[in-house]
Amino acid sequence: MTRSRHWRNNLIGYSFIFFPFLVYATFVLYPVFGTLQLSFTNWDGFERVRHFVGMANYVRMWKDPFFLKSLYHNLIWILIGTSLPIAIGLPLAVILWSGVKGFQAFRTIYFMPLVLSSVVVGIIWGWIYNPVFGIANEFLRMIGLSSLVRAWLGDTSTALPALIIAAAWQYYGFCVIIFLAGLQNVDISLIDAAKIDGASSLQRFFYVIVPQMRNVLTMIILYTLIGGFKVFDLVFVTTQGGPAGATELLATYLFKQAFQLNYVGYAAAMAIFLAFLVIAVSVLFIRLRERVA
Amino acid sequence: MKLKIVKMFCGLPRYVVVIIFAVVSLTPLIWVWSSALKTHMEIFINPFAPPSKFYIDNLVKAWNLGRFSKYTLNSVIITVPTVAGVILLSSLAGYAFGKLRFYGRDILFYVSLFGLTLPFQAVMIPLYYLMLDIGIISTYRAVILPAIGFGLPFGTFMMRAFFKSIPGEVMDAARVDGCTDLQIFLKIMLPLALPAISTLAVLQSLWTWNELLIPLLFLQRQELHPLTLGLMFFKGRYTQDYGLIFAGATIMSLPIVGLYLLLHRHFIKGITAGTIK
Repeated sequence: MTRSRHWRNNLIGYSFIFFPFLVYATFVLYPVFGTLQLSFTNWDGFERVRHFVGMANYVRMWKDPFFLKSLYHNLIWILIGTSLPIAIGLPLAVILWSGVKGFQAFRTIYFMPLVLSSVVVGIIWGWIYNPVFGIANEFLRMIGLSSLVRAWLGDTSTALPALIIAAAWQYYGFCVIIFLAGLQNVDISLIDAAKIDGASSLQRFFYVIVPQMRNVLTMIILYTLIGGFKVFDLVFVTTQGGPAGATELLATYLFKQAFQLNYVGYAAAMAIFLAFLVIAVSVLFIRLRERVA
Repeated sequence: MKLKIVKMFCGLPRYVVVIIFAVVSLTPLIWVWSSALKTHMEIFINPFAPPSKFYIDNLVKAWNLGRFSKYTLNSVIITVPTVAGVILLSSLAGYAFGKLRFYGRDILFYVSLFGLTLPFQAVMIPLYYLMLDIGIISTYRAVILPAIGFGLPFGTFMMRAFFKSIPGEVMDAARVDGCTDLQIFLKIMLPLALPAISTLAVLQSLWTWNELLIPLLFLQRQELHPLTLGLMFFKGRYTQDYGLIFAGATIMSLPIVGLYLLLHRHFIKGITAGTIK
């Protein structure tokens, strides 16, 4: 009796997940193994045979100055691209939370850039950074800093930070929303107590609110970290990694290796490395989320 | 009265900060939209002034000659089946993982979470050659199927959380009344899940609408391009004609921002739930 019921339950369960799993396995799981397999070959995308080269592609990465440079750019992206939106988003969320008229409207506005396609963001910022007509230079001229005027996206020393600022513009509203959600769990009586004890608003922010937001803060950092490794779209639609490789990132570099230079095996190894980085951070992320929930 | 003024003044710096950032978030976009309504000359002579009169030639030209009518249609053709597919399959899987008992359920659920943050780069190379081999490269299917596959982990995750929150008594009662498992799912669970489904629909539409890499790889014929690719190549071709580029950017962003303003609660709720719950 119980055995046949188990059997029936299994059958029902599997019939519900059959089609979702089929699609997921075909287009997500199976190709990951394909990439792993290719990463041990030196296939160029055309040859009929795929020569096994062992770990050669993984060794080659660490001797490839362009790969190392791209990885370095990702690290810069993560460093600035994480700290800037948080430094803006957290105080902004606390201000909104402490009672501002039109709270809903502000929240809606801050989040809005996030719904834009990276192509549109690229157009907006390409125009802001335009060497001749852009507001960035216009503004510098206005405040008398004409010496700083430059082609922001065409200059090897400013292109990467300029793109990171564009990304931060799009992303900081997301931080505001997540921090606002986290602030709902902050114990208000502690803030009142600190107020009675004479803590200034700045002290209350750093010693009472921030410590209680530690988990949400860590989660946002990990989330941005994952995003920082994956960045592709904004760079691809603006500088394409240029000028002179100044904005080349792991994702854009491996895209070129795979589809423009046809070093398929090598690109596959870099893709596996990228996936490994992202998954390692994600596992940390999920562990933490379980602890918070 | 005096107290009110003092209070207002104390609150002022706070409002200055929140308003400055509202301006920072909002103006670039409004400025692109208004520039789309300017003549070529006006954009360069008065870059920051509002348009002197509504000049719609850029929009008309982008829509017709720039083929944005075609790109918009293609975006819809790709987005609708992708969103429908993700909703249908995620509801099935989410229900199974959240409410049914079967052997290996938890392991399979963790396996499906694996795709939650997996970068598309990790699968794009074999997928590209697969599409080439089976001959569906440069068809809508080549974009829709992988897009559904990559939408499933989040959708399943979200629908499972929702179905889990529905009390089991609802199912027991239905079963006593003689409902089969399929009937319980279709007639009781799905209608209850409508709020979750609409949140998922909104988010997935946004992601598919803005997807760049998947169509870039799998749609190599221009007449199949969605708005993302259309606008990207358009921008490359008309580098100097800012009026036209802004018109293209307007055509692409206006519908999604409109949808967002209409349904912002769903957007915000979905994003929050997906990140911290």
